[in-house]
Amino acid sequence: MSVTTHTNEVVVPTATAISARTPKIRRALKAEWTKMRTLPSTWRTAVIATAISISLGIILCASQVHAWSSMTAQQRQSFDPTACSLFGIVFVGAVVLAGLGVRALTAEYVTGMIRSTFTAMPTRRLVLVVKAAVTAAFVFPVALFAAFVSFEAGQRVFVGKDLQVTLGNPGVLRAVVFGALAVSLISIFAVGLGGLIRHTAAATTALVLVIVGGVTLGQLLPVGLRQYVPGTALQAAVTVNHSAGLLQPGAAILVLGIYAVVTLTAASFRV
Amino acid sequence: MIEVNHLTKRYGKTVAVDQVSFKVEPGKVTGFLGPNGAGKSTTMRMILGLDAPTSGQVRVDGKSYHELREPLRSVGALLDAKAIIGGRSAANHLKWLADSNGITRRRVSEVLDIAGLSDVAGRKVGTFSLGMNQRLGIAAALLGDPSTVMFDEPINGLDPEGIVWIRNLMKSLALEGRTVFLSSHLMSEMALTADHLIVIGRGSIIANASTDDFINRNTAPRIRVRALEQYELAEVLTQRGAVIERGSDDALVVTGLGAAAIGDAARIHDITLTELAPQGSTLEEAYFDLTKEVTDYNAGQLVDATKGA
Repeated sequence: MSVTTHTNEVVVPTATAISARTPKIRRALKAEWTKMRTLPSTWRTAVIATAISISLGIILCASQVHAWSSMTAQQRQSFDPTACSLFGIVFVGAVVLAGLGVRALTAEYVTGMIRSTFTAMPTRRLVLVVKAAVTAAFVFPVALFAAFVSFEAGQRVFVGKDLQVTLGNPGVLRAVVFGALAVSLISIFAVGLGGLIRHTAAATTALVLVIVGGVTLGQLLPVGLRQYVPGTALQAAVTVNHSAGLLQPGAAILVLGIYAVVTLTAASFRV
Repeated sequence: MIEVNHLTKRYGKTVAVDQVSFKVEPGKVTGFLGPNGAGKSTTMRMILGLDAPTSGQVRVDGKSYHELREPLRSVGALLDAKAIIGGRSAANHLKWLADSNGITRRRVSEVLDIAGLSDVAGRKVGTFSLGMNQRLGIAAALLGDPSTVMFDEPINGLDPEGIVWIRNLMKSLALEGRTVFLSSHLMSEMALTADHLIVIGRGSIIANASTDDFINRNTAPRIRVRALEQYELAEVLTQRGAVIERGSDDALVVTGLGAAAIGDAARIHDITLTELAPQGSTLEEAYFDLTKEVTDYNAGQLVDATKGA
């Protein structure tokens, strides 16, 4: 009982509980970060996402180089070497990394460990927000690394046709950073999705449908609406040569941010 | 110290817990006893703030659970040992719990030691047996050195050695002055462990007494009797207010009359007794007597009464 007695003396009385809010967030952040880093699958996911993103980027760039001779002048004019090298990370890498966001909640709901989480941290909405923050904070540097390497590798492929650009070209560095930012926002969206659906497989399916399926189904929508589909916004975020039917990169990030906030808010009513 | 006041929980039309009030006091082991589906787990979840009561309230050390700033330092609970993600090691599972309530890493190794898990601290929880998971759950409950501990069916699935370990742990926690609240549907286990009993059936408290009082009050002494003139004996004893059941081997099982009174009655009526044996009444019997009217759940109601976060 010695430890209990000791802490009882330090515990802030409830009257001043508002001033104790900051440490509560800090403790929750620390706990959720410990959860994230101590799960081996977290690191496996990061490695797999990076590997897939980079290889897919290289394959896409190589296929464009291969198709170059059969392209029309107009197609060559609008070709975007930066965006092409980043499609691996913003489409497939995003889905794999956002899986971390999905599982942040679903893995706990499925096993029932969520009850331990909520008895240790009874402020459920705080837990939700902290999970989103920790996921995004983990995903961002991984996605940035993957985006950077994908870009550099892709440009090497373009050297043969002299199509390569450098980070110094206007808009290119922004595209690489926005690519990583977009992936982080998708991972926050995924945390919200996990909170709403609570089943790993179902929430993952929903995520894939929204990101990849959205692009395909989006073709059925009028252009004015199509640009707001998550997949199209992802594409817009990494585009340097602006083309019709795509939002400006900044606006695309804003749209993805709205998706993330709306989904997380909806989930906060279900936790 | 746990105080429950007029606590009610409804799921749709099913009343899982109905106007329940009780106090769980420090320094002793309090057993929370009832058939499966009686409302034990629902009540425990409400104490931990996991389920919102339909009405009524719960206080832990005078506060509602949501007012506790570092809840693990006030209440340690084990609800379901299997409810845990398997990919983390035992030590890492305890570490995130410790972080969430500002508890030191040193305490993590202490509770691993108490639970006898130090040797497997680095092993993934997914490889653990139910018994090891149960020990990990208890380590987690003790992490914040709480003044109140709560365990839901802690001996389910344990081997005899584990059962003895838990039983002794509960008793020593109570001796240290903590409030120990443990649920079970096994009366025999409670008879050995609990100092005080709260019995719940169909969502209502049907007994709240010390274990000794509970046995004395609820178990009438039974006496097994055989006589050459069996039929006459039964008649005579019934006249004197005894309740008679037929036991094995055609013996009579008498409640409501002592052995001396039966012997006396036999002498007066010239009946020859061939057997007169007082039977020990057990807590198990008392429990069955008390709960037999309230165990008539059908499967559908059971599902309703046990669901929830």
